[in-house]
Amino acid sequence: MLFFSFFKTLIDHEVTVELKNEISIRGTLKSVDQFLNIKLDNIQVVEEIRWPHLSSTKNLFIRGSVVRYIHLPSSAVDTALLEDASRREATAAKDKKAA
Amino acid sequence: MENGAEDTKDPSGFLTNIIGKNVLVKLNSGVIYKGRLQSVDGYMNIALDECNEWSEGQQVRKYGEAFVRGNNVQYISADT
Amino acid sequence: MSDAEETASNPVSEPLDLVRLCLDEVVSVKLRGDRELKGRLHAYDSHCNLVLGDVEETIYITEEDEHEQEVQRIIKKQSEMLFVRGDSVVLISPFQ
Repeated sequence: MLFFSFFKTLIDHEVTVELKNEISIRGTLKSVDQFLNIKLDNIQVVEEIRWPHLSSTKNLFIRGSVVRYIHLPSSAVDTALLEDASRREATAAKDKKAA
Repeated sequence: MENGAEDTKDPSGFLTNIIGKNVLVKLNSGVIYKGRLQSVDGYMNIALDECNEWSEGQQVRKYGEAFVRGNNVQYISADT
Repeated sequence: MSDAEETASNPVSEPLDLVRLCLDEVVSVKLRGDRELKGRLHAYDSHCNLVLGDVEETIYITEEDEHEQEVQRIIKKQSEMLFVRGDSVVLISPFQ
């Protein structure tokens, strides 16, 4: 749930999604679900000459499992908050396992 | 199970028994890690101490500590 | 011993604890597809999804030259903040 919540805080921010098939797409994050499937608006393919087949596409739904990286604007990320949330999630996972 | 962690007849019993020992971990990619087994969980995620990475018969890297994601693991062997 | 007793008695008892102790530290991450990352760990979960800051990515490429000899090529890329999907992760280690 941590990353689902995290990506919800990044909605309307500009991100670059790098897929496992090497294609990189820049766009505005419009929505995310629990599988980390994402919707991007106003997309632009990085290295469009290499991947011309998306040049007329404006928005995309990307299945979470095909994502390798998502490049984020560091100004939109509260790193201390993320670290605390990660520790809390780790504790919660252990409590669940112990219960 | 009466013997608890002492029971080596089941696979996870084997794993808990070799915690603290030197082990060899082979990944699906063929890469091998040798090190001291700190811990292992149900996904076969592994934590190793003093870990050496071997690829194609050559030692390629050293890690003081390493976490290996379980899905990449082919086998864990007690290093003799 | 049950799982419950084991986790309660020993705070550093499972592999992901090693990753937890790397929070706010520089880590090196080995990925599928001959890639490595070096960066500061800001977040992780049980799938090994990660957020890394101030990241350097290294990609190792093996190609054949005109004489069909294998040659290694290395590409380096920088990223200020990077989410890494856990299914690509092979190994996480504190950077030394």
